[in-house]
Amino acid sequence: MATEYVKYVDVTKCDGCRACMVACKNWNDLPAEPQDFLGTMQSHANVSADTWNVLTFVEHENSEGKLDYLFRHSSCYHCTDAACEKVCPENAISYTDFGTVVIDQDTCVGCGYCVQNCPFDVISLKTYKDKNGDEYRKAHKCTMCTDRLEEGLQPACVTTCHTEAMEFGEKEAMIKKAEKRVQEIKDRYPNANVYNPKGVGGTHTIYVLTEKPSVYGMPENPKVPTSAVLWKDYAQPIGKAMVGGVAMALAGAFVANKFFDKKNNQENRDGGGSHE
Amino acid sequence: MVEINLNRRQFLKLTGATAATLAVVELGFNEKEVHATSKEFKIAKTNVTPTICAFCGVGCGILVHTDDKTVVYTEGDPDSPVNEGTLCSKGTTIRQVYTSEKRVTKPMYRAPGSDKWVEKDWDWMYKTISQRVKETRDKSFVVEENGIQVNKTEAIASLGGAALDNEETYLLAKMMRGLGVTYLEHQARI
Repeated sequence: MATEYVKYVDVTKCDGCRACMVACKNWNDLPAEPQDFLGTMQSHANVSADTWNVLTFVEHENSEGKLDYLFRHSSCYHCTDAACEKVCPENAISYTDFGTVVIDQDTCVGCGYCVQNCPFDVISLKTYKDKNGDEYRKAHKCTMCTDRLEEGLQPACVTTCHTEAMEFGEKEAMIKKAEKRVQEIKDRYPNANVYNPKGVGGTHTIYVLTEKPSVYGMPENPKVPTSAVLWKDYAQPIGKAMVGGVAMALAGAFVANKFFDKKNNQENRDGGGSHE
Repeated sequence: MVEINLNRRQFLKLTGATAATLAVVELGFNEKEVHATSKEFKIAKTNVTPTICAFCGVGCGILVHTDDKTVVYTEGDPDSPVNEGTLCSKGTTIRQVYTSEKRVTKPMYRAPGSDKWVEKDWDWMYKTISQRVKETRDKSFVVEENGIQVNKTEAIASLGGAALDNEETYLLAKMMRGLGVTYLEHQARI
């Protein structure tokens, strides 16, 4: 297994410029999605099929009764145990050597199981029309620029970040860096923590947060849904085994039947078969 | 027990079919390889041209990736000491200066007092502009003011656009200074 990489996001260094959002659209050729004013600085309410990362703006009253204005780069977390990968019935979602989770657009049938089961709500479906005018759907999300990683480049969002709020590096080094950074900012932010949830086996986007995850609108204890585990690790293998068994039996029956028939026919033609 | 009786013809047919299937599956066709080559890296064959961001005075370096037809991608120049490969949200959009559908690609003319833009050809535009500039400059040119040589005209103003790049603004400023234009402005606001 190749080295696993992690995107490290230090929200204390983010200045909310949204260059990561634009860089993502620029690299992945995603169209703009004009939005109504949401009442805050935030441009989009959540990620979507054409907006793979969103900068969230949270106005939070801290323990001293003062206003904290919290910015966070929000996109796919690339879980180590990804619920989307587990539930995908077409095996269109897979892990790469870098630790990223990607959707194969050719295999995806747009069923939406991954959308429903993602604990972070980062996958969206997009509807397309084929040349006959029939609609079909595909699931989209951040790829962590896996195509760039394969060529030795860093993700577009990390490359463009000018405050070093985002960095990309080897997993262990980034986790160490995050822990060190939390110690540095503890005086200013007593609730500071590293977000690398264990319920999904850790993620490949880790955060240094100044407040509890829920303040940022993140799940405190995200888990792979039990139904997803049951489906992938138990129901599917059994189902497949049964399908295989049935197929073998059918094929066997077919072959046996055919040759038996031949034999009977030949015997009939020879006139050797008993008549009554 | 199932007894399989094969005559010679049936046996040959079966072995032939098996060999053909194996050949297709094992030898000739690697599905993964075909899939990989169908998606080429986006900037694998592009020409790279360095430029300076036009949007503000910081002067970030940008690499412009182009193919035969259009700008494919833009990214901060990692060799630039100003931005070291990074860009702000505005600089990241600079590709649209060329690719945007909203870009005006033909000369538009609005007559004095009119509220309508009319499309004109370049010849008409060049001729009219040069005629009017000459006319206005000749009429308003000031050689000396308070005993000091000034060689200026205050009847013409120039407003540069934020999407002009470094070289274009240089040429524009050079020409306007040559004409004696003092109201030389730029609309850049970050």
